[in-house]
Amino acid sequence: MNKKKQKTNLDGYYEKSSVGTTHSGLPVKDYYNPDDLANFDYQKSVSDPGSYPYTRGIHQDMFRGRLWTTREVSGFGTSEETNERLIYLIREGAGGLNVIPDNPSIMGIDSDHPRSKGEVGVQGVPMCTLQDMEMMMNGIAMDQISMSLIASSTQTPVALSQYIALAENSGIKPSDLKGTTQNDPIHCRYAGFAISSPINLALKTAVDVIEYCTLNMPYWYPINVNMYDLREQGLSAPQEVAFGFAMAMVYIQGVLDRGLDIDQFANRFAFYCSVHMDFFEEIAKLRAARRIWAKLMKDRFGAKDPKSQKFKFGVHTAGCSLVPFQPKNNIIRVAYEAMAAVLAGVQSLHCCSYDEPIALPTEESVRLAIRTQQILAHETGVARVGDPLGGSYYIESLTDQIEKEVYAIMDEIDSKGGMKKVLESGWLDAEIDRASLDYQKEVEKGDRIIVGLNRYRTDEEVEKYEEFHGASMASQKVQVDKVKKLKEQRDEKKVKAVLKTLKATAEEDEKNNLIAFMITATKQYATLGEILGTVRIAMGETYDPLDVLTHPFF
Amino acid sequence: MTGEKRRRILIAKVGLDGHDRGAKALAALLKQEGYEVIYLGMYNTPEGVVKTAIQEDVDLIGISFLSGEHMILTPELMDQLKKHNAPEIPVIIGGIFPPQDVEKILNMGVKKVFRGSMVKDVTTYLDQFFNVTNLEK
Repeated sequence: MNKKKQKTNLDGYYEKSSVGTTHSGLPVKDYYNPDDLANFDYQKSVSDPGSYPYTRGIHQDMFRGRLWTTREVSGFGTSEETNERLIYLIREGAGGLNVIPDNPSIMGIDSDHPRSKGEVGVQGVPMCTLQDMEMMMNGIAMDQISMSLIASSTQTPVALSQYIALAENSGIKPSDLKGTTQNDPIHCRYAGFAISSPINLALKTAVDVIEYCTLNMPYWYPINVNMYDLREQGLSAPQEVAFGFAMAMVYIQGVLDRGLDIDQFANRFAFYCSVHMDFFEEIAKLRAARRIWAKLMKDRFGAKDPKSQKFKFGVHTAGCSLVPFQPKNNIIRVAYEAMAAVLAGVQSLHCCSYDEPIALPTEESVRLAIRTQQILAHETGVARVGDPLGGSYYIESLTDQIEKEVYAIMDEIDSKGGMKKVLESGWLDAEIDRASLDYQKEVEKGDRIIVGLNRYRTDEEVEKYEEFHGASMASQKVQVDKVKKLKEQRDEKKVKAVLKTLKATAEEDEKNNLIAFMITATKQYATLGEILGTVRIAMGETYDPLDVLTHPFF
Repeated sequence: MTGEKRRRILIAKVGLDGHDRGAKALAALLKQEGYEVIYLGMYNTPEGVVKTAIQEDVDLIGISFLSGEHMILTPELMDQLKKHNAPEIPVIIGGIFPPQDVEKILNMGVKKVFRGSMVKDVTTYLDQFFNVTNLEK
């Protein structure tokens, strides 16, 4: 045996577990025992699944009543290509659909905008006109499927209008539609779309959607507050919950200001959370989130309906935890994260595909992500009993610890004048930048071990790669040509007239709900850029968030 | 080396992609490593990047991509460099790419492609590229 090899083996033998803090930096002890739960009041702070404060879950029978929804994010190329993928997912057993728009759509500009070059159908599907929605949903039963539109930016009311318009044109009532709009444009300010999400416009469009759905669409979740994207910036678990809840409360106040009662709409609030690599911390985080949300709704907002107090959440396994090197390691990462989500009582789950840090997921890698969920659901038995970790000395202590941290951050926000203030002042931006940089430094120093990145790296050259799926440039041309042709064929007079009404309504009173007018405009094939641009002008913004184009009509 | 100017690096995202965590971290950590960094942020056009690079007389351009728009926007950036008579400014690219695109990007004239690497890999490369030690940056 040569010396070098012997040395390596010894290093491995003496290897220690990571430092005595969680992924988010919370201190933890070597072990926990009954002393740690000396003041533990089961009924008051935990209680059974399905009972206030819902720490252990929002349903008494948890997954025995119904499994979580398998919801894999998709959207790429043209609407036809995405349609093919959606039908494939349904065939492979997906319980719901989860469609993400491309960058121009999130930005609120059209596929034929000069700055959309290279971006159409990249990272999502174009949602430029009603025609895109028609082609994307072709052959899918809208009255049966549960659809999640990951429209979260100020684009949301237009995407929702396209979906409703298509349903109505097909003889389906909006009140029969099941699904979710993510509708969290404020968070977009921290997810790379600040330029198209001025605070007033963001709040206005979000509240319009919530109000409209509350009054017209009883099976629709109008908002899915996106804590996931915040976490992906490098935040800690307690920061994820605290910032997410603070944003949720800004929307809640906005809807209350429209004159709705908290119990009319709070039961339709849902959240989109991250589950990162620290297994127990993530479970404790979601348990703590349920308890905090229940108390906030009850004590701060006076919600009486138990449904309003239940924290409902979907999980996206942490994309930023994946590593492009030795990509199959990511299958293992996703499986652990998904198991944590299930043990935490998740309502719907997106498992990342292992090739996501490399390219668009292939059909094979998405199927593997679905199978990960199916193996968890049907083979491991982890879904058999509600909150199986409840009562664990460690889990209960960690849940308390995270709850305390979250309250401390929320108090800090309150002391700075509330969330709207810290959004405007840039405090939140600074917090996110600091957390992100600290994280990166720890990775660089090797204090935070990431297998295959800063430890156990192999020579990249010797890795074997399969064919990965890149975005198609041909699809971009197809989509741009489609939009240009549509603009030539539609009735321009009618388009102008509906936009004029939309503008006048928006200008008259900021509290006027614009969704019905957007649906009408969408049916005349007014584009996303035109509809949103009209509202932007009415609110004193430029027509085009990138300030390249001016309004085609006024 | 005294008398020699500090190396000046321009970091930017081009296109509409909003994933700027990597670019920001790189910009901040390169600064700590002693480089002079001009961080242009998001939503830049290739032409805008090239014009700024010339104006600021930078020694190298670093572009961060994530969403797959690199196959259209990288050649455009290289064309703009030629168009503005500055083909000598070296370009490096970082972010998320399918492995089969790496060679294609290098063939466009890009000096180096970093796929999801650590900042340390980038600084090691830059130090070698400029053939400098910490003191000389």
